[in-house]
Amino acid sequence: MAALDTTQSAELTRQPPRLMLAEPILTMRGIARIYGNVTALGGVDVTVYPGEVLGIVGESGSGKSTLLRMMNLEDTPDTGIYNLALPGHEGRNLFTLDRFERRMLRAHHIGIVYQNPHLGLLMNHTSSGNVAERLLIAGNRNFAELRERARQSLDASEFPIERMDARPNELSGGMQQRVQLAKAIALEPAILLLDEPTTGLDVSVQALVLDTLKRLQRERSITMVLVSHDLGVIRTMADRVMVMRRGKVVEQGLADQIFQDPQHAYTQQLVHAKL
Amino acid sequence: MAYVATRGGEYAIEQAERLFRADLGPITRERVDAVRTGLPYLIDRLMGEASLYEPDLAALALAQAGGDLYEAILLLRAYRTTQPRIAVADPIDQPDLLTVRRISAAFKDIPGGQILGPTLDYSHRLLQVDVLQGNDYVPEPVIPAAKPAPATQPSLTSWQKAQGLIPNHPGETVAPEEIPDLTREPLLFPAARAHKLQSLARADTGGTLALGYASMRGYSAVHPTVNELRLAYAPVRLRHPSGTIFSAGRVRVSQTEVISKAKELQLGFSATFGWNEVKVIAAATLDLASNQPNPHPAANEEFVLYHTEPVESSGFCIHFKLPHYVTFQSTLDALRRVKTDKDTAAAKPAVTEKLAPHQEEVAL
Amino acid sequence: MKLQELTKPWMAFNYGFLDESAKREIRRRILKAIAVPGYQVPYASREVPIARGWGTGGLQVTLTLLKPTSVVKVIDQGSDDSVNASSIRKFVARVGGAVETEDTMAATIIQSRHRIPEEKLREDQVLVLQVPNPEPLRPVQPDMSVAREMHGDADYGQLWLVLYEQLVKSGRIMQGSSYPSMVNGRHVMTPSPIPRWDVPKLNQADHLTILSAGREKRIFAVPPYTRVEPLVFDDVPYRVEDHQDKTCYRSDVTGFFMNELPQEDGSSQYELSDSHFGVKHIRKLEAEAVEIGETWYKNGRMD
Repeated sequence: MAALDTTQSAELTRQPPRLMLAEPILTMRGIARIYGNVTALGGVDVTVYPGEVLGIVGESGSGKSTLLRMMNLEDTPDTGIYNLALPGHEGRNLFTLDRFERRMLRAHHIGIVYQNPHLGLLMNHTSSGNVAERLLIAGNRNFAELRERARQSLDASEFPIERMDARPNELSGGMQQRVQLAKAIALEPAILLLDEPTTGLDVSVQALVLDTLKRLQRERSITMVLVSHDLGVIRTMADRVMVMRRGKVVEQGLADQIFQDPQHAYTQQLVHAKL
Repeated sequence: MAYVATRGGEYAIEQAERLFRADLGPITRERVDAVRTGLPYLIDRLMGEASLYEPDLAALALAQAGGDLYEAILLLRAYRTTQPRIAVADPIDQPDLLTVRRISAAFKDIPGGQILGPTLDYSHRLLQVDVLQGNDYVPEPVIPAAKPAPATQPSLTSWQKAQGLIPNHPGETVAPEEIPDLTREPLLFPAARAHKLQSLARADTGGTLALGYASMRGYSAVHPTVNELRLAYAPVRLRHPSGTIFSAGRVRVSQTEVISKAKELQLGFSATFGWNEVKVIAAATLDLASNQPNPHPAANEEFVLYHTEPVESSGFCIHFKLPHYVTFQSTLDALRRVKTDKDTAAAKPAVTEKLAPHQEEVAL
Repeated sequence: MKLQELTKPWMAFNYGFLDESAKREIRRRILKAIAVPGYQVPYASREVPIARGWGTGGLQVTLTLLKPTSVVKVIDQGSDDSVNASSIRKFVARVGGAVETEDTMAATIIQSRHRIPEEKLREDQVLVLQVPNPEPLRPVQPDMSVAREMHGDADYGQLWLVLYEQLVKSGRIMQGSSYPSMVNGRHVMTPSPIPRWDVPKLNQADHLTILSAGREKRIFAVPPYTRVEPLVFDDVPYRVEDHQDKTCYRSDVTGFFMNELPQEDGSSQYELSDSHFGVKHIRKLEAEAVEIGETWYKNGRMD
């Protein structure tokens, strides 16, 4: 196996001064996965600070979605450690958790919105049921409370309440994403992961869903990791940006700086192609 | 008011059985022999689905059940449960089979030749109504070939493996007592290969055909070609404690390999007791289809094996004739309560204070 | 020395029909089921001379437990006299020579399809329930192999959702029989298609209950003194069928589970579903000396 190039050029990593004062909520170090000659992930480090939106941008094959799945503990790298600053889990490499611990951790502390609603939603249950399921896993057994909290979560996601008992497959793409969002924030997770949440939606609907995401993020200071190939989405949402290519981070820094003054040739290509 | 504690149920079932049997009359040795000689393919199908090879017993089961195949299968399988396991026969290879019919759709000709054997495939399906007038249907005599077909045939797959067309999976030597046995162990999924092939061997022909047909028509990603189909006699070889291997007789078997082009050539396989071509072709297709990644739901292994089980499927189907009035009463109760709730809610005077939706539901 | 002198005399089949290896497997599965209450233990499930779906699972358990001193009661929908119960009882007698009874108090083994008798069962009695579908997750997951993993993960969220959505849609839980219940706080089981009326009888019972699905090949059990809790929301109480005020027209008994008999004038008449319980009451009215056991329900209620 070839030696991993885990160095990330110092000039290309510009730290956001104000956010650096807080302790990170998510840390990943040395995340690597290699299949034969193919480097899916070649030693990636990630740091996410509380209340910020980290955007991860790259083309397909960059490894960004794999990385997000690992953050959701759906996947494990060959090497690497993963920490979340959660009570009871300090200093623990979450990749060593057993099946049940992973499920509980995901249920209580991580929210996720997938590009494909079929991955994130139970299609044969109602929308409010989908949100209630999160609360049920957390042990809530009070019908009135389940109903009310599901309603609140859907409402916060700007989902039309009169349709809360419709099944997801009776709803439009945008509404399905809102149900996913409501489900993801129902237990007030430590981090919210979004994998191409608006890709595939109509452009006008995309804008509306992004508005909701932005508003929620501001109101509740939700820490988010948003993966997208779409620079427009990243630009709208992200505080900091990580640019990935073929399993490596080529550049990262404050969103403004990345977009206005990209340093790496690849980032420049991406940014200029978009504009 | 006195309750007449009748044994009405027991009496009724006894008379019901007598009524059924009265229609059939006595089951005699002659009748069994007539079934045995006259309906060999039905007997073959029955022995395959009962997973018990004994043509006289199969003929008896058919006679006793009046020809109801599902009843006959249950009779034979229930009988099988009572029989002790004396030995496990030695495995045999393709060249051990006394092969009577052997064809391949994959090539025009193959080593050993395309042997048609006994088949109605190319006949004209004309009903010989003359027989009912008293004129026997006497078949034309077979004209023997100048050179007899070989008794045994090499396997086509050995040629294909030598050519590098299909992968040569190394054979596993398993002690006879270690061979998984579907009749002694529960079937869990993903299924052990032995369990899967055993399940298909004793699957319901109609059910297997239905699902196989769906696969063939496109409800799966396989496009099967019959690589090789055989009707043969398989020797049953047992080991005497002193070490001698001896033959305990022969059983009729049918088997099919189907081949399909996915990323490379892949094989599906099925074999069963007796000569039953429809079943083995369909089953081999399902074997192949269920091994694909992300198979169609109708070709999913668990779906196929569960629903092609003749005794389970027919038994459950007819169990719906049993009384279900207690569960029905439970359902009625729930429905009636909903209706009562609605009537009660409608009868209530209008509430001036509007309850929040969730509160209304709890109040019911 | 002849081979015949060395062996037992020929018999058509073993005592209790099943051969010893089949019985051994079932005994071991039952022990495992008792050790993990509510967990479905897979077993081979031999064919017996009764069609699948008609009680072969319950029958295999009864035949395994059977001894010449066993006293066997067989009921279907609560009635000893029903055709299916009669057929099973006849078979057990034929292959086992045990004593038959209709009296719940006298039985040592009670095999039942879809009801638990009204008279309380004791520590020395075993209840064998016939199960058509052993998988409570079937409505949300038809694949047995996936459902098995869900049980392993205690992943019952979707089952709760089924109940939640019934409440949303109809205002009450619509689950009729087979009410999903948590056993020993860990595994959710289906109590078999017994009515809601009967499920509370399983909670902390004195007796052992074995549930067996012959066609689906699963055995599970509720040991004595084990919690069995129907899945209910804190704020929506468990409701049994509305039979507490119904009276049996034959025996004049009130407050037990009834069969509803439609009448020609459009009304309904009721009779006790537990038929022999009714018979005992009638005999008592006719001044026969008959012992009626303590019941779980009193005045139509079970606390």
